[in-house]
Amino acid sequence: MVEDRTISGRIFSAVNFTLLALIALVTVLPFVHVVAGSFTTSAELAANKFVLIPKVWSFEAYKFIFSTNTIFRALGVSIGVTLIGTLFSMFVTALMAYGLSRRDLDGRRVFNFLVVFTMLFHGGMIPTFLVVKELGLIDSYAALILPSAISAFNMIILKNFFQNIPEGLEESAKIDGCNDFGILFKIVLPLSLPAIATISLFYAVTYWNTYMSAILYLDNSAKWPIQVLLRQIVVLASGMDHSAALDGTVPPPDQTIKMAVIVVATLPILMVYPFLQKHFAKGAMLGSMKG
Amino acid sequence: MQEVTAPPRAVPEPKPKQYKSSSELKKRLWRNKLLYVMLIPGVLYFIVFKYFPMYGLIISFQDYKPYQGITGSEWVGMKHFSRLFTEPDFLNILANTLILFGMNILIYFPIPIILALMLNELRGTFFKRFFQTLVYLPHFMSWVIVVSISFVMVTMDGGIINELLAYFGFSKINFLLSPGWFRPMYILQVIWREAGWGTIIYLASIAAIDPGLYEASRMDGAGRLRQVWHITLPAIRGVIITLFILKIGSVLDLGFEHVYLLLNSMNREVAEIIDTYVYTAGLRQGQFSYSTAIGFFKSIVGLIMVMTVNKISKKIGEEGVY
Amino acid sequence: MTKKSFTLLLSSLLTLSMLSACGGNNNKEAAATKDPGASTGTNTTATTDPAAEPEKPTEIKIMLPLNTTDTPPDTIKTEVEKITNTKLTYQFFPADTYEEKLNSSFATGSLPQVTYLKNQTTFLQMKEAIKDGQFWEIGPLLSEFPNLNKLKPEILNNTKVDGKLYTLYIGRPLARQGIIYRKDWADKLGLAAPANTEELFAMAKAFTEQDPDGNGVKDTIGLVDRNELVYGAFKTVSSWFGTPNNWAEKDGQLAPEFTFPQYIDTMDFFRKLREGGYMNQDFAATSKTDAVNTFVSGKAGLYIGGSMQDIDSLNKDLIKNVPDAVLDTHSMVAGPEGKFAQWMIPGYNNVVLFPKSAVKDEAELKQILKFFDYMMTPEVSNLMYWGIEGTHYTVVDGKAKATDNKELIEREVKGFKDSVIGEYETNGMYQSLNVLPGRIHAEELVLENVKVGVADPTAALDSATYTSKGVELQQIITDATYKYMYGQLDKAGFEKEVENWKSRGGANIIEEYNAAYTK
Repeated sequence: MVEDRTISGRIFSAVNFTLLALIALVTVLPFVHVVAGSFTTSAELAANKFVLIPKVWSFEAYKFIFSTNTIFRALGVSIGVTLIGTLFSMFVTALMAYGLSRRDLDGRRVFNFLVVFTMLFHGGMIPTFLVVKELGLIDSYAALILPSAISAFNMIILKNFFQNIPEGLEESAKIDGCNDFGILFKIVLPLSLPAIATISLFYAVTYWNTYMSAILYLDNSAKWPIQVLLRQIVVLASGMDHSAALDGTVPPPDQTIKMAVIVVATLPILMVYPFLQKHFAKGAMLGSMKG
Repeated sequence: MQEVTAPPRAVPEPKPKQYKSSSELKKRLWRNKLLYVMLIPGVLYFIVFKYFPMYGLIISFQDYKPYQGITGSEWVGMKHFSRLFTEPDFLNILANTLILFGMNILIYFPIPIILALMLNELRGTFFKRFFQTLVYLPHFMSWVIVVSISFVMVTMDGGIINELLAYFGFSKINFLLSPGWFRPMYILQVIWREAGWGTIIYLASIAAIDPGLYEASRMDGAGRLRQVWHITLPAIRGVIITLFILKIGSVLDLGFEHVYLLLNSMNREVAEIIDTYVYTAGLRQGQFSYSTAIGFFKSIVGLIMVMTVNKISKKIGEEGVY
Repeated sequence: MTKKSFTLLLSSLLTLSMLSACGGNNNKEAAATKDPGASTGTNTTATTDPAAEPEKPTEIKIMLPLNTTDTPPDTIKTEVEKITNTKLTYQFFPADTYEEKLNSSFATGSLPQVTYLKNQTTFLQMKEAIKDGQFWEIGPLLSEFPNLNKLKPEILNNTKVDGKLYTLYIGRPLARQGIIYRKDWADKLGLAAPANTEELFAMAKAFTEQDPDGNGVKDTIGLVDRNELVYGAFKTVSSWFGTPNNWAEKDGQLAPEFTFPQYIDTMDFFRKLREGGYMNQDFAATSKTDAVNTFVSGKAGLYIGGSMQDIDSLNKDLIKNVPDAVLDTHSMVAGPEGKFAQWMIPGYNNVVLFPKSAVKDEAELKQILKFFDYMMTPEVSNLMYWGIEGTHYTVVDGKAKATDNKELIEREVKGFKDSVIGEYETNGMYQSLNVLPGRIHAEELVLENVKVGVADPTAALDSATYTSKGVELQQIITDATYKYMYGQLDKAGFEKEVENWKSRGGANIIEEYNAAYTK
């Protein structure tokens, strides 16, 4: 890549860099607070509300959450559901998105419209629950994946990306004797790595954040993903559940435990991004075309 | 090295819709049979998990009782809809919802685009990745956390911002309870939490731009800003419009949690939106039919908006979402 | 190849779901075969004698809200099973979203045999379904169970629907609310515990202005309150002012509390506190956690509302920040007319229901009630409330002293605490051994409170409008109350909002309650 070495170019870079650095600082400070909060005592958190560096270090919160295997089990469930769910979702989404991205497909407008329609109209919790129940998915991990297997939003975005691939490439592949599956897997997908990375990330985050499906469809708490644990602790510790009655038998968990669980439940999914990032580099598409 | 062709994102040329004969259509259907096979899993999914459960919308015309089911509940026609429209606060709530949505479109929506362009202009892979990772962090903080951290910063009772104001001789500002500050706080929190995350789609479409285009324009002596304007932006126009149309559909569907956490007795006149109203008037009181009717209303408005904007975008030569 | 892997995936999913379906069937069959023997067993020995071992254990599925960080392990459950000869399946669901789970399970006929609700609001919502006959009536059966029969009749009465009993209740002391305050500050400033509302005001003022923490900076406030009228300071103070508990007779008719002059007096009280800066300025937006944080950081002197028993947890964090802080409790605050009063809850915070969709016949119901009859024995109630003696607690002076290993209790015991029916007077469980003087004082005050307690006359009454619109309407009053306290509404403005409340459905509530009241 050729560097822009003109003076105006340098000023532009400097201003841009400074602005972004400021933005990054603002976005990261509350996160630092959460991490710092997880390593201190609840008393210090209460006294110095916006802790950035703990005065008193304490690992009690982590000791507490790691004192049983619950959190490991929940992380395991979440990682499994996220991996399998993302793979499955990407597969069916890519198939559908590719089909609908082909301009010579009759009826694509109708299909597209019907997909958009589902983003606006929902049957509601109870009818969906009944479908899941009738399919025999209650208490199975599949209940966390199948009911949200395709996100209409993701499908449309992916379709958009597929449409941007020059049609000429597909034509020539066809002449070389590829069928539509061949074109999708040999030409289109390799050319759409940034898009695949993006949509996979979206699916992964959605699966990682699975909460309501778990509550509704899984009666066995041993199968709960990490978000159930996370939300339970955050809501209890934040005292923000307005519907909770005056109930003093059980005091809420420490604020530090809340912070520690946020850290533990967020780190794994945060680590996904840097791995996908290389696909966002410029020219990824053309690079693979040359090969 | 690389032939600079037209940018990959070109205005699509829709295929002619008329068929010379039905046999030609048949031929084409047959030729594309594998494409239809590809649609099968997706179509099945949408039928089973999306369209089939939509029978649940029926309850908005009933006085639904969970133990009587849809078949046993009493029909009441448009009762719940007329209750909504005759609710004394309805217009106020609708206006509040529309204003927040308007802020989402006018203020929030462009920010991820600008941020993505800025990130793209960063030199050096390390910083690029580093900043990208940092700005996308807040998306993983739940609204409960975002709101409680904001509370600690802006409260009158020792919050950093008010302490600073007082230190510099200004009078303290009641951010949390004054109706005037609710909307700025809301949109700032939305920007803080979502802007970085929102850049991802744009960065992906920027990544798909042919670098040759930039090289060619640099040879022509174009500066950085001009490149952004003439190459990058046009290349991501399609995805911007798609995202815009999809966003328009959520016009009355702003989500409940964030606003509810900011809502209090002192700012309700500006902060009550449809979703928070549904929670208090419907869900918390087990009013299934009323809640569903309000949801139905939201969906219809969303549908009208999407169809309108989609039509406009086609008129101006863009593709639209369907 | 891709098609193959897809079909493979689909078929494996299918098999998975079929497998789970088969598992379900097996369980049912097993339960069915076990049932006859078990039910004949109860008919012959309907006593609480735990020695009746040879019977097959009764299988009971229980759904209940989870108020702790995590579902408890089986430690306690296994012990309970041994004593009660049952095989228990506890299904915990987060309290935060318990309504969603409850509603969807109910609508799809999948509630288990024993269904705990979440609080009084969920109970109110279920009443219509209860009247429709979706749940077993247990009133007539209660006399067959000696321990269940001990449940307090006045509280059972509060939980009746149309005069019939369908539920068992989880008991709570009638009036635990009061003041938790900084005794060290009061002593330093020469103040006694406030005997009346005027002294309470003076205390808040002194705590703000006279630098009670002695750091030379005016950085303390009197009262810290939060965004909650009922469980914050407001309702408790209002009852000291003589405001009725939700409803009271006025000119021979039941009228809501906010139509009484004492309600206005209470609002004036808080308005003056706020204007003087003697309480936190953002209280209308302050969550419980934020209020507690202010208190335990040593910045506030008074914490009102909520349970006085919270003093233990407040004290724990406070002394970490302010090592020489001393807390005490207080609740006998006289109103302007010199009278004491204390609002009371209806004596329960949650109830248990038995859905007909899961409990097939009366014999099965009796089996389940037998389990709850066991739960009303000291043996089982102590086990579920305190844990295993020697492991989770020890008995000192006839009271339970929880182990210092708080983690262990948090993990293994707490989850079951909120499911113990009755209260210590009826189920015979230990009271807690208290060390903190303020806590010991609190326990005395809880008993004192009841002597001047004011009950809610509508606790056992029904109003269809209240059930369907009560929450929404109450918001009008809540908003007006806060606006008044912040000086944005005057008395006329407040009364206009009360009229607004009436015209939007409040008038119906008044009418319906009065109709039920005179019945």
